Amino acid sequence: MFARVAAFEFRYQLRSPVFWAVLALFFLLTFGAMASSEISIGDPNTSVHKNGALSLAMTQMIMAVFFMFVSTAFVANVIVRDDETGFGPIIRATRITRFDYLFGRFTGAFAVVALAFLAVPLGSFVGTLMPWVDPETLGPNRLAFYLQPYVTIVLPTLLLSSALFFAVATITRSVMLTYVGVLAFLLLYGISRAVMRANPDLREIAALSDSFGFGAVALITRYWTGAEANSQTVPLAGIVLVNRLIWSAVALVALGFAWWRFRFAMPSVAARKPAKGDDLAPQRVAALPMPDQRAALWPRLGTQIGFEMGLIVRSPAFFVLLMVGLLNSAGAMLLPDAMYGTPTYPATFLLIKALQGSFALAPLIIAGFYAGELVWRDRDRRMHEIIDATALPNWAQLVPKYLALVAVLFATLLAGVVAALLVQLGKGFTAFHFAEYLLWFVLPGAVDMALLGGLALVLQVLAPNKYVGWGLLLVYFVVSSVLDPLGWQHPLYQYGSTGPNPLSDMNGDGVGGVSGWWFRLYWTSFLVILLTLAHLLWRRGTETRFAPRARFALARLRGGAGLVGALALLVMAATGTWLYHQTNQLNQYETSLDTDRHLAEFEKRYLALETAPEPSVSTIRLNVNLYPQQRLMLATGTYALVNRTAVPIRDVHLVLPEHARDVLALAISGAHLVTDDDVHFVRIYRFDRPLAPGAGATMVFTVRRWQRGINAKGDDQRLVANGTFLDNSEIAPVIGIHRSAMLSDPVKRRKYGLPSELRMAKLEDDSARARNYIDNADWVASDITLSTDADQTPVAPGRRVSDSTAHGRRTARFVSTAPILNFWSIQSARYAVKSRMSDGVQLSVYYDPAHPYNVDRMLNAFDAGLRYYRANFGPYQFDYARIVEFPGYQTFAQAFAGTMPYSEGIGFLGDFRNPDNIDYATYVAAHELGHQYWAHQLIPADRQGGTLMTETLAQYSALMVMKHRYGEDKIRRFLQYELDSYLRSRGGERLEEQPLVRVENQGYIHYRKGAVALYLLQDRLGEDRVNAMLRTLLARYRFQGPPFASSTDLTAGFHALARNPEEAQLVSDTLERITLYDFKAEHAQTRKLPNGQWQTTLTVRAGKAYADGKGKETPAPLHQAVDIGLFTEKPGKAAFGAGNVLMRQRYPVTDGVQTFTLITARKPRFAGIDPYNMFIDRNSDDNIVSVD
Amino acid sequence: MLVLESVTHTYPNGVRALDDVSLTIPAGMFGLLGPNGAGKSTLMRTIATLQTPRSGTVRFGEIDVIAQPERLRETLGYLPQDFGVYPRVSAYAMLDHLAVLKGIAGRGERKATVETLLDQVNLWGARHKAIAGFSGGMRQRFGIAQALIGNPRLIIVDEPTAGLDPEERNRFLNLLAAIGENVVVILSTHIVEDVTDLCPRMAIMGMGRILAQGAPADMIAQLAGTIWARTLDRADLPAIAERHRVISTRLSGGRMVVHVVSADDPGEGFAPIAGGLEDVYFATLHPTMQPAPVAA
Repeated sequence: MFARVAAFEFRYQLRSPVFWAVLALFFLLTFGAMASSEISIGDPNTSVHKNGALSLAMTQMIMAVFFMFVSTAFVANVIVRDDETGFGPIIRATRITRFDYLFGRFTGAFAVVALAFLAVPLGSFVGTLMPWVDPETLGPNRLAFYLQPYVTIVLPTLLLSSALFFAVATITRSVMLTYVGVLAFLLLYGISRAVMRANPDLREIAALSDSFGFGAVALITRYWTGAEANSQTVPLAGIVLVNRLIWSAVALVALGFAWWRFRFAMPSVAARKPAKGDDLAPQRVAALPMPDQRAALWPRLGTQIGFEMGLIVRSPAFFVLLMVGLLNSAGAMLLPDAMYGTPTYPATFLLIKALQGSFALAPLIIAGFYAGELVWRDRDRRMHEIIDATALPNWAQLVPKYLALVAVLFATLLAGVVAALLVQLGKGFTAFHFAEYLLWFVLPGAVDMALLGGLALVLQVLAPNKYVGWGLLLVYFVVSSVLDPLGWQHPLYQYGSTGPNPLSDMNGDGVGGVSGWWFRLYWTSFLVILLTLAHLLWRRGTETRFAPRARFALARLRGGAGLVGALALLVMAATGTWLYHQTNQLNQYETSLDTDRHLAEFEKRYLALETAPEPSVSTIRLNVNLYPQQRLMLATGTYALVNRTAVPIRDVHLVLPEHARDVLALAISGAHLVTDDDVHFVRIYRFDRPLAPGAGATMVFTVRRWQRGINAKGDDQRLVANGTFLDNSEIAPVIGIHRSAMLSDPVKRRKYGLPSELRMAKLEDDSARARNYIDNADWVASDITLSTDADQTPVAPGRRVSDSTAHGRRTARFVSTAPILNFWSIQSARYAVKSRMSDGVQLSVYYDPAHPYNVDRMLNAFDAGLRYYRANFGPYQFDYARIVEFPGYQTFAQAFAGTMPYSEGIGFLGDFRNPDNIDYATYVAAHELGHQYWAHQLIPADRQGGTLMTETLAQYSALMVMKHRYGEDKIRRFLQYELDSYLRSRGGERLEEQPLVRVENQGYIHYRKGAVALYLLQDRLGEDRVNAMLRTLLARYRFQGPPFASSTDLTAGFHALARNPEEAQLVSDTLERITLYDFKAEHAQTRKLPNGQWQTTLTVRAGKAYADGKGKETPAPLHQAVDIGLFTEKPGKAAFGAGNVLMRQRYPVTDGVQTFTLITARKPRFAGIDPYNMFIDRNSDDNIVSVD
Repeated sequence: MLVLESVTHTYPNGVRALDDVSLTIPAGMFGLLGPNGAGKSTLMRTIATLQTPRSGTVRFGEIDVIAQPERLRETLGYLPQDFGVYPRVSAYAMLDHLAVLKGIAGRGERKATVETLLDQVNLWGARHKAIAGFSGGMRQRFGIAQALIGNPRLIIVDEPTAGLDPEERNRFLNLLAAIGENVVVILSTHIVEDVTDLCPRMAIMGMGRILAQGAPADMIAQLAGTIWARTLDRADLPAIAERHRVISTRLSGGRMVVHVVSADDPGEGFAPIAGGLEDVYFATLHPTMQPAPVAA
């Protein structure tokens, strides 16, 4: 009986349209992800093969999450269909046993689910066969790569989701409530993941408790390189095996629960309690009142809306959906992306950003689900004949339903605002800005939701049944996601698109705020047209076929509906034309694909010219006029050019940067224009007589930057009403052809026929020392006059020699006191300024008055940093050091000559009230100040290892400031973040990893690894000795032209500091190779000695390996002195300090297992090898062990 | 006065639901009798503006129902054969809502309407209970209550007493009978007693066609003297069926009672009886000799 029941169920579910629809959908999704270079699931990394073992496994695991909805559809149907169809009593009157009924059916349904999922590996496989797929992104197809994750990881997930929701369906006997359970499960999952992610100590627990297995797989493959990810399937062992076993057991428990709770008898329908007033007498009239259709019009609309809203709000599903959305966004608001684990103040604009991000899906679900319910409810409940026979006009059926849907969505927005306010209150932040909530979130959100709800409603009216309507909405969702990557990027044909509208405390919604409303008007009129169509095609009575309804619709066009539609069409046409004028005539519209193509062409045409001799710039003189309210800049510049090469120069190659293409004047003395490429914005000037070595010329230019109209890809974010921040690359023409602007993504490069990599010059290439890596910027003397609105403060590099206000304009002049690189910035905003003197240098912070929280902290950081750097590296070349805030459209900080722009999104809003949190504001400020030496005094050559001299040394400088401020013992927390970040990022390397001396501008190496590496070197070789060596480097290269400094100079310097072969080995291993150590504290035991001291035995395992660029490792012998330590508290914890160190001493360590016996005065609780994570350790967690 | 002329409707699968139906229905109760599948419900829905026929006209007074259905809806009450209910809504709230849909705007007027009707159909005690929990009879009563909102001049009730117990059925028919004389009430049913008890005019419908129409008494009188009855054993039935036009067979006390139509005395033990509407009904449905259904 069991087998037959299962077989019947299998055949029955196989025939359901859901099965085939799901098969098609998932096949297409995975096929699309594999076959398209633009669409991807998960991480679009390009050194990892799309059909490598790990990629395929990840694809399947991600799809398994979405598949929860599918498996629920099947298994819930098993339980519910008997009751819903009314066939139940007949089945139950047969001899079937509870076991056979329940589990036979479940088995059949689960088999169908498992079968349907095969569409995923199949889709991936077929995708790899497509001829247009970039072969570099594929490896060999191995059956094991497709099947192993399916069997070992996915099947248990499918079993879990089937069993779990089978149990839920058994209890609730309602498909809708079961889906609500799915959403609740996903929500709980999301929240638990977010909470666990914040605390790296919980990694193991997180891995075990992750029902989909992501945590376990991530833990195992954390540090896998590209080569490993491509060729190794995730072994079903260790934590992965335990995780799968745990969740399979949970599945079985769920099935057991379902068995226990299932009864053949139907649950009784809970009757509503009779309300009060049962003893009242009815009001009786002899003659019933007559209807008055005209008077009833508006009241009818009102009560209808209320009635429809009531039906939605009272359904239990709505409450749960709302909770899901709210908790999801609460999660996003409470755990924002914090830098180094430190939280940020919950400023309103940040919370709105979080709300917008996390609120994207829940309203879509609510809108889609309820649109289906609203349109089809009367028919599903078989009330439609009664309703349709009443005198209710057609539009009075559609409009109230629509308005009710909008009202409900609006309510969810308000709920979001309430949640945000609670978060702010909870964190003690009282700058609520209610107006911002209203204007930036509630109102635009309401319109956007109305657009979405309207579309969902219209699709339901057009579809032949509710499920097709939902399917259509899903198709819309998928299509709208793929339009952008495929190059269809214009907001005028993307439904509901309003263009980017980033928010900022400094600049409000200035970018894209007003234009967004024009787009909303445009799309609203389109929606009205759609709603009119839906109204005309509205189903009334029993006629459900499309053709007669269409005929009816045409006939009714001549009425009020037609008028409304025509009016909407008029508005849409008018707005659309105006918007088109703004986007495509006042601005240049280019899709990102076109931009890429132009970049590729630029490279093909001009790359050969990159080594051509160009004149250098010796002085720059600029007059920049900013009109922030009009988003207009007019800049006039004069560059004094000089030929510092040994050969005569015939041509000067100029590239007009992206936002400075509105050139009003450009001329070079003694030269004439020979090429004006206005597609790639290259101008070539030829000297009438070639410029002799040592001779000079002058370049004058006038450039205008003006945001007019509306830019389809987003308005100017750098030149804004309050918070302008422009740099030289956005104002002045660039001399020479440089690689910085060319395509770097290998996939894109191959697509356009370029060699897949454009690598910088090798370390061995001495000719590369003739150019530096900031587009070969020269050391110049600068004289910048900057004028802006009278109520704003202009800031540019240089000493502020004059500052006056007249006729509504404020003008300041900045003259450099020391050579600066031709790499400068201008900023202007309504700033508050706080200054302090530090030994003759004026330290200032220019900040938005609303962000005073960390200004003192930044000034302190500058003070401490300046003292250290002047004492240890050499003189500071300016008499000013400025931090200048700019809007949070981007979150970074940058160093120009003595002037450091700093985003409002980092540092200014960091919440450092808890001293246990890492003070990254100080760290970043010290880093940027460090750059005043490492970049603004010494600039390296444009070849491998360049950024070692700038970024890594800036990291080192900041680390020393932190070390002196917080003490050596607290530095571990920080180093662990950096180490972890480096190790994690290795797997994401696109080309090949490099040792530090050859780093090719790879951030994870020069920032993260660099920090750890240099900290280790100064720990071994001595901070003062290292600083002395750096001093000599600076003295040698300060403000020098070619030949520029090189990483080889730094490694030579470190080698000179090595006092014995072991230290020399360490220098080589750290800087010249990719070395991975593996220190593990295995076991520690202590006992009290008779003399009161404690003897501890610590067993460690150590190893060392060298890795190549692709991650392949070879073991190497280890002979290294490494710290061994005993502590009373675990290093790295916030509370850990110098007082917790019982002993920390260096012992020689070799590879293999070793035991150390140590004596301390007090009892140790923790023991470790390299306890402060100074070495690049493959696993930073296992260096410390608690003592038994 | 409701006038139908040559109303024809064919479903996409070729079935002729309505075949050239022409009817004249004055004010008062009108019975539409016919078996399941005869097209009664299709006809009811067509008159209730829920369906548009392929051809033909429907006029109510001077309203052209097919061209201007909204005018008819303003004065229409319709109780469908099969209807469902919204969950978690009480009878009072639903009736109140339907009153709004039908155009009773003022709150006082609505209150009067709803309470009067609930009282009339005897649902006052259950007015705050969810309709989803009503028994079949209570639901039908609710249905008739909503059909009476707003004093419609055309009321259509489709199979209203199917599934009601005898007491509820009586109550229901009493309610219908109390409706005023200026209202056209069409009662569509397959229960002959309903029409006999209530309707001064009727029509018999089969296979989409109107087979007969007129006053019941006249139609009974037409068959006077042609109905004959006889009791016999089951085994004898096939022989009788071959020789006579059997219109009905019924079991009574274990033996079979057979009615036949015959202009003259069929002999063989047949006795003349005064025919009832049921005989008219069967006779109309089966105009020729057909094999009698054999009771199992």
